[in-house]
Amino acid sequence: MRFTRALLLLAAGAVQAASSWSFDDASVSVAAKKGSDAVKEKFSQKAPLTKPVGLGSTDTVKIILTAKEDGKAKRPHQAFVTIKEQETGLEAPFPLTVKDTGKAVVSISQKDLPVQFLLSPKPLKASVVIGSFGEARAVNTPVFDIELETDPNAPVPKYEAPLRYGKKPEIHHIFRADPQSPPKVISLFFALVVAATVPALFISWLLLGANLNHLTKALGTAPLSHVTFFGSIVAMEGVFFMYYTSWNLFHVLPVAGVVGIVTVLSGTKALGEVQSRRLANER
Amino acid sequence: MRTLLSFLLLALASVVAAISTSGNRLLVVLDDVADKATYSKFFADLAEREFKITYATPKSDSLNLFNLGERTYDHVLFLPVHTKGLGPNLTPKTLLDFVNAQGNILLALSANTTTPTSLVSLLSELDITLPADRNSLVVDHFNYDITSAAEKHDVLLLPAPKPVRAGIKDFFSEDAGSKLIAFPRGVGAVLGNGELLNPILRAPRTAYSYNPKEQAEVVDDLFAAGQQLSLVSTVQARNNARVTVVGSAEMFQDKWFDASVTKLDGKPVVQTFNREFAKRVSGWTFQEIGVLKVNWVEHHLEEEGAPNDSNPEMYRVKNNVSYTISLAEYAWDHWIGFNVPESDEVQLEFSMLSPFHRLNLKEESHRLAAMHYGTVFTIPDQHGIFNFKVNYKRPFLTNIEVKNTVSVRHMAHDEWPRSYVISGAWPWIAGIGATVSGFLGFVALWMYSAPAVAKGKKVTVKKTQ
Repeated sequence: MRFTRALLLLAAGAVQAASSWSFDDASVSVAAKKGSDAVKEKFSQKAPLTKPVGLGSTDTVKIILTAKEDGKAKRPHQAFVTIKEQETGLEAPFPLTVKDTGKAVVSISQKDLPVQFLLSPKPLKASVVIGSFGEARAVNTPVFDIELETDPNAPVPKYEAPLRYGKKPEIHHIFRADPQSPPKVISLFFALVVAATVPALFISWLLLGANLNHLTKALGTAPLSHVTFFGSIVAMEGVFFMYYTSWNLFHVLPVAGVVGIVTVLSGTKALGEVQSRRLANER
Repeated sequence: MRTLLSFLLLALASVVAAISTSGNRLLVVLDDVADKATYSKFFADLAEREFKITYATPKSDSLNLFNLGERTYDHVLFLPVHTKGLGPNLTPKTLLDFVNAQGNILLALSANTTTPTSLVSLLSELDITLPADRNSLVVDHFNYDITSAAEKHDVLLLPAPKPVRAGIKDFFSEDAGSKLIAFPRGVGAVLGNGELLNPILRAPRTAYSYNPKEQAEVVDDLFAAGQQLSLVSTVQARNNARVTVVGSAEMFQDKWFDASVTKLDGKPVVQTFNREFAKRVSGWTFQEIGVLKVNWVEHHLEEEGAPNDSNPEMYRVKNNVSYTISLAEYAWDHWIGFNVPESDEVQLEFSMLSPFHRLNLKEESHRLAAMHYGTVFTIPDQHGIFNFKVNYKRPFLTNIEVKNTVSVRHMAHDEWPRSYVISGAWPWIAGIGATVSGFLGFVALWMYSAPAVAKGKKVTVKKTQ
């Protein structure tokens, strides 16, 4: 049983090898709309066109062929010209109008093509597919390339690829640039210049005759208030220094309050002593 | 007694574990309940996967997809019926409501029977177009089975379908080897452009659809041809309900399960892949594969010396933050760690209105039933309300969309670098020092300086008067 079936299969294979579809008398012609000069080129199953066919925006490309089964002209069920875009592999089939005699024809113009084809950078591949029911082998032959010539004046057709779920490009936030400092040498130079004003000030005071000659007198008259008054002024600067380095406002306020009260209380005494020296014409 | 009870519970638990994630009540709608004998292997496979199958004809009065507003079935399988409509219980609206209520539908069509109008309307709602004449057949004169369809070429033989793009999980062609899918006497559909539609099986490049009654001689008006024809198509709605359209119900019949077929010039005899393919298509539709879930999401501060509590509500600009998400995938009867398909990525968006960061997450660790993906990044220098968002939507996988909201505050006054660190501030600091020492010197001089000798005296005398 199995043996006979295998035999049958073999026989079927043999028959298939014998009969197949083909086409003949094939030609492609490009006609401009105004109609004068149609360029006609012949091709066959074995000899596809080597030169690409140019198709302008108003032109029509017309393909004529005769379908044959085992050399006899016959009408196939499927007679398509499929045009393929090389980048994406997208295909568009164009069924040929076939007569009983196997004569088949189809006209294709640019507006029949999907919009993706018009944007293709590479030439389109056209192939002829002929097949039908029964045992005869179908045929799918690449026949020619089509080079689209777009009208430079016409707007470029727009094509927006449909949304497809997939990963998206990564985004990395661009941070604002960090604040810049001038070169350290310049900062250091000006810091030294500023610091140099202090000795300059003291030296010029000394040159103008500044001295501390009354210090002993003042301390002799009101030692406690002078020491605490001057000490509290220094301490206030110390409070500000602590505020700059580590303390917060809640540390600063009570301490500054205490130091301030000490300044006021000792200040009245100490400054009174200064006034007494002035009234004594010693200043 | 107690041990018996615990055994029973264990058995129950294993039964519960071995079913689809969205329930096991399956309704099969077919012409004649006796028809199910031709699909016996397919139904046996379904029953083995713990589905409770109810068979019904569209005419039966007791057939209701909803009872008191709740679904009475979790999945519906339509086999071809000869009637033109499906009756008042299966209107397109009911079927759409069923999908909206997260019910799954598997539609099996056939070229031998016209598709009921109810199903055609349902499909057009989903943007799947069937041939208008409702009698069409897909043939291919290049890829047919020469043993069973030598004359008519209507049994297509196709290799198991690979994903159409990179980065899509391969559910349907794994372990297929050289086996072929037989697609006998089927209908091809054309899919719309929506992102929810995905073909599983596309026709070969040379296939086409025609009407055997009107176009027996020649194809004058082509519905669709080549890869535009989708033979098995899917829709996954936004609520993760799945609808699958299988062009040929016959491919699920016993005679095509593990049958021998012969390609035109391939190896002499090849086994069909139909049984496994039917299992995978039905398993996908009934939520047994391709179902994802998020186990947990965790984010914390990734700074040295800072507290790293999980999922705080607030971060500061420019903090380093680590984010981890644990994903699992359902594989027939248990959860496994979800492996992202090759050349695909799980992406985290850190967004306020629009994403500031979109980062690929890296695999961190693999557990028994979870895969952890995570990354560490710096929060942008912009304060406001931000979201950690993972929006993972891929063909054939259920949607994942998780959002964790945090506030991002700006720098506090004591978080900036101190001024002595900034070299540009040195002249100003020196200026303050100079002012302070000058002031103290002035105070001392003003209080304790004696007038300059010689000419200074007159001046002071004048002043005091």
